[in-house]
Amino acid sequence: MTINLIIMLFMVAAALWAVLARTLLKGSIALAIASAALALLIFRMNGPLAAVFELSVCAGLITVIFISTISLVQPFTPQEVAARYAARFKRFWPLLVLLAVVTVICLKCWTFPACGQALPESADVMALTRDLLWKARQMDLFGQVVMLLAGVFGVVILFKEENPS
Amino acid sequence: MISSPLLYCIVYPALCGVLLLVVGNRIKWLREFLLVLASGINGYMAWALFQKSGESVAVALPWAGFGLDFTLRLQHFGGFILLAGAGFGVLISLYSAVFMREHRHANQFYAYFLFSLAQTNGVALADNLVMLLFFWESLLVTLFGMIAIGREDAWKTAVKALVLVGISDVCMMVGMALVGSLRGTLSLNVLTQQGVALDGLGGLAFILLVLGAVSKAGAIPFHTWIPDAAEDAPLPFMALVPAALEKLLGIYFLARICLDIFKLPSAPDNWACHFLMILGAVTILIAVMMALIQKDYKRLLAYHAISQVGYMILGIGTAVYAGIIGGIFHMLNHALYKSCLFLSGGSVERQAGTTDLKKLGGLKAQMPLTFICFAVAAASISGVPPFNGFYSKELVYDGALSRHVLYYVAAVLGSFLTAASFLKLGHAVYFGKLAEENKKVKEAPAAMLIPMIVIAGLCVLFGPWNELPLKTFIYPILEKAGVEYHTCHGPIPHQMMLVAGTLIALVLAALNHRYGVKRTGVGVGASEHIHHAPVLGWFYDKAEKRWFDPYEVGMKVLRGGSYALFYLDRFICWLSDGLAAGLTYLASAIIRWSHNGSCSRYVLWALAGAAILIWYVMKSA
Amino acid sequence: MKEAMNLPNQLILLPLLAVVVVNLPLGLRWAAMLGGVFFSIYQMWTMVFLPPLETGFFDLQIDGLSRVLLLSIGLVAFVSILAARGTIRDKRERFYFYNLVLLAMVGMNGLVMVRDLFSLYVFIEITSVASFILIALRRELDGLEGAFKYLIMSAVATAMMLSAVALLLLATGETSFAKVAEQMRLGGSGLPVLAAGLFVAGLLIKAGSVPFHGWLPDAYMAAPNAASILLGGIVTKTTGVYALIRLMQDGMFGTGMSPVLLLAGAVSIVAGALAALGQRDFKRMLAYSSISQVGYIVLSLGTGTALGVVGAVFHLFNHAVFKSLLFVNATAVEDRAGTRDMNQLGGLAARMPVTGFASVVALLSTAGVPPLAGFWSKLVIIVALYKSGHPVYAAVAVLASLLTLAYFLSMQRRVFFGKLREGLEGVKEAGWYVLVPTLALTLITMGVGVLIPWMFGSFVLPMEKF
Repeated sequence: MTINLIIMLFMVAAALWAVLARTLLKGSIALAIASAALALLIFRMNGPLAAVFELSVCAGLITVIFISTISLVQPFTPQEVAARYAARFKRFWPLLVLLAVVTVICLKCWTFPACGQALPESADVMALTRDLLWKARQMDLFGQVVMLLAGVFGVVILFKEENPS
Repeated sequence: MISSPLLYCIVYPALCGVLLLVVGNRIKWLREFLLVLASGINGYMAWALFQKSGESVAVALPWAGFGLDFTLRLQHFGGFILLAGAGFGVLISLYSAVFMREHRHANQFYAYFLFSLAQTNGVALADNLVMLLFFWESLLVTLFGMIAIGREDAWKTAVKALVLVGISDVCMMVGMALVGSLRGTLSLNVLTQQGVALDGLGGLAFILLVLGAVSKAGAIPFHTWIPDAAEDAPLPFMALVPAALEKLLGIYFLARICLDIFKLPSAPDNWACHFLMILGAVTILIAVMMALIQKDYKRLLAYHAISQVGYMILGIGTAVYAGIIGGIFHMLNHALYKSCLFLSGGSVERQAGTTDLKKLGGLKAQMPLTFICFAVAAASISGVPPFNGFYSKELVYDGALSRHVLYYVAAVLGSFLTAASFLKLGHAVYFGKLAEENKKVKEAPAAMLIPMIVIAGLCVLFGPWNELPLKTFIYPILEKAGVEYHTCHGPIPHQMMLVAGTLIALVLAALNHRYGVKRTGVGVGASEHIHHAPVLGWFYDKAEKRWFDPYEVGMKVLRGGSYALFYLDRFICWLSDGLAAGLTYLASAIIRWSHNGSCSRYVLWALAGAAILIWYVMKSA
Repeated sequence: MKEAMNLPNQLILLPLLAVVVVNLPLGLRWAAMLGGVFFSIYQMWTMVFLPPLETGFFDLQIDGLSRVLLLSIGLVAFVSILAARGTIRDKRERFYFYNLVLLAMVGMNGLVMVRDLFSLYVFIEITSVASFILIALRRELDGLEGAFKYLIMSAVATAMMLSAVALLLLATGETSFAKVAEQMRLGGSGLPVLAAGLFVAGLLIKAGSVPFHGWLPDAYMAAPNAASILLGGIVTKTTGVYALIRLMQDGMFGTGMSPVLLLAGAVSIVAGALAALGQRDFKRMLAYSSISQVGYIVLSLGTGTALGVVGAVFHLFNHAVFKSLLFVNATAVEDRAGTRDMNQLGGLAARMPVTGFASVVALLSTAGVPPLAGFWSKLVIIVALYKSGHPVYAAVAVLASLLTLAYFLSMQRRVFFGKLREGLEGVKEAGWYVLVPTLALTLITMGVGVLIPWMFGSFVLPMEKF
């Protein structure tokens, strides 16, 4: 219970950081962390099915974002680095405020349902996940494949070398 | 029946008018010749028709359906109007042929002259109310045309006349429609047989029809164009239309309404009679008060043309036989002496070049014949025995006194003021000192004198020998309308008490004149002491500034209204084009400014939106 | 095998097959465009003359709503492919464009046929990924920026939707529409309501409704012209609006969502229109106009009545037609005149009469001027609003039409009417690859409007018969 709450707050913090981060690179890292935290949360709340997909889909997406970001960003000059370092706390105080607000909301408003009765303790979680992936959710698997195909196109198009001609 | 003489006397003058328009101004003598010839033939036709008016002659052509037939019917009263109108047409055409010869739109004037005769014939003969209205309204067109070709700015007066008469004609039109819907017919003949009751809608119809009729005759409150037209329009127009034709037609229709349609004499004590009598008395007094202070020959006459209508309305409104006979007789007399007066004014204007009383004076020696004609007509209008006006006025007094003494007092007071103002006019124009520039003024040409002399002669003739017009024209009207009457003709009036009253009024008028002249030293100043009397002075001042002119007041209200609408329009424009557009563009600019391209800002918006959304959903669930 | 290739399956497998075949080293790259064109025509054909309905793999189904959407998808994809042929000069770029459009079609076709929340999410993602790449296709800075914004906002939406799916799974143990809806009806408060809120917020981000719209103007403006047609015409409508309609229709949210949708719709209409009024860039203006028009659809949906849903779907179809047409016009203008800045254009109607006329038709339809198609759908929306007891929102919808007319007339005056601006004397009418879609869309706009008495019974009303 407490762990769930901590993970959730961590996720919210990461998400807010993703929003507030000045550099794209940090923003996408923060996003990756947020989605990982979400997957963890879902997994802990006995939703392995959703967790698996969150992780896989977001991982695919984040890869694309990551690569495109890296290809876009220019290294900072030392002056810029110094300026940013000096101003780092100024930028992050809204993060703290937001985090506090979200915490209060979470604690006040949400009553988490009792978890754990959805799956028997003895069940092999890995086997269940495997079954789910290959038997019950074929359609989504098909979708995943198409999405990856699209991602491949993205990488091919966006990161191909310029034609010399 | 197409070739009926009834049709001829409408179509023929109209065709001659068209011919005159075609002939144009090039061959000078031809126009005048055509005019006089056409009027003469019109006069002859009218005479011939009047002879037949004992028999009932009618033309009925199917026309528009819905009861709107082209129906002409010659009856006695119509024949009388026909003859009177045509007679004035002949005389005044002769006068115009000289007076208008040099005018740049002479042919137009002549054409309108003939059109007016045709329309007058049409009104006198029409049996269907819609036909009557058609001719009645088309008179408005020629009226407009004749005023508009006068002085430089005459079109303003023409518009004023058109608006005022148009409004009263609309009243009449509504009245006709009401009568038509009440009785299911528009035929005057049928309506005369059936009669219309004076209650409810019938009463409303009566008021509307009377307003239309008396406004044509020139009664208040739609009278204010006449004094303006007197100054602006060509003079023969004044002698022909407001002095003669419109009086004839207006009183003709008023008499038809009162005697035939609503049958007032059968119940003389109802409100309608008092409505008419009050209207008449007020018209007499207000117009004559205005006439008294005028300083212009024609304008003064114009106010009298209004004032005298009051006597006719009062007379007919009494609904007793003496009053009715007096009213209709006064209509004829008035047409005579007022045309004569206008014609004398025209002669003075033509010979002396002005009608301003301050510049005139002492013309008696220069223009003796004009003076004599003027004197006869003035005595007639003032009710001096033994001229025709005296006899008709005595009859009206008789009728008025039999209803209420106040009506009689108003009428006699009117007489007093009329006499006072004509003493002033005559004194100012024909007596006193001859101005230096008027030394060479000569008598008017014969063609202008003849009509005046003929009319003045009739004024004298219809005085002691009033038997002639009364028996020929007026008694049969009452007979036809079924009004009981006693003969009241003869050189000696029946009511000697009334004659005494009249004589006292005349003597007082003479004394008043003497006082006024003594006070100021000139004839034109004879009414100054009344003009500048304590309370009256204020009213006169405002009246001269046209505070009481419904047209001017209405125009001011309309102008104010149009300014108000203009600013309202500007305001709405500003609201839509200025304020609304400004706010829209401001909002647009704010929204544009807030979209600064920052991704984090957009994400924050989305998150805030999502938070609110979820908060709301959770709260309401 | 025969069963495996029934219509729903064809609609997702055929484009995928086309992509695979042209990318294999068989020398068939030239066939990509033909494949796209044929497939989109085939899709429209089957949707107009719908064969007996069958259920495909994994419960893929076509009903009235899906049918309208599939028809719109085929139409816009067809237009977009032809426009790409006419305006993208680089051959390789064009080839990739066709592939991505086909992939996006796989995503959209699947999205409108699935009956499962998680599958819905997956197909939304397919469409989105294809769209990111389409936006960034030219690898120019503003394209990458637009794609990046879309990506970030989509990630937020993704997180929300996935959380919602997870919560629903937790609460009901199911993800298929029918079963979730059934569970929701039994007792919906607490977690399911939270899930519904999250899902709707995610979908509104995808749909670009105010205040979730930040990505949309940049993405539409920065995308290659042909991609803008696809994005503005159909992508956001399927990924966001369609999903919203579907979930509302299946009773996934209950009635608590109505006020939210009404408010979001009205705010979108007004804010979008106001923002569009101040734009200089042709396509950016169209993007804000899209936000405004999506507002109408959301507003109509917010009534929660059958008529409201009909109005929403009908307007969605009309919007796909006239907004594609406007983007095609923008494409033609930029292609010929070399700029989208409306202040540097003027008098083009003399040089490009067909485009100018089509633009007039499209803008009048958007503003809701009778008898064009847009008038009828707006009328249905306003009637639905009024009948469901929201006269104020109805008034907003009517008055916003004035704003719509204002910004579009301003556009028309600045771009097409008036005196020909200096330097544009050499401009010619767009080529046939652009004119054919222009004419087709113009005819549809006018035809649907004029033939509404027939259309209403046979096409519009069946939309809500699920």
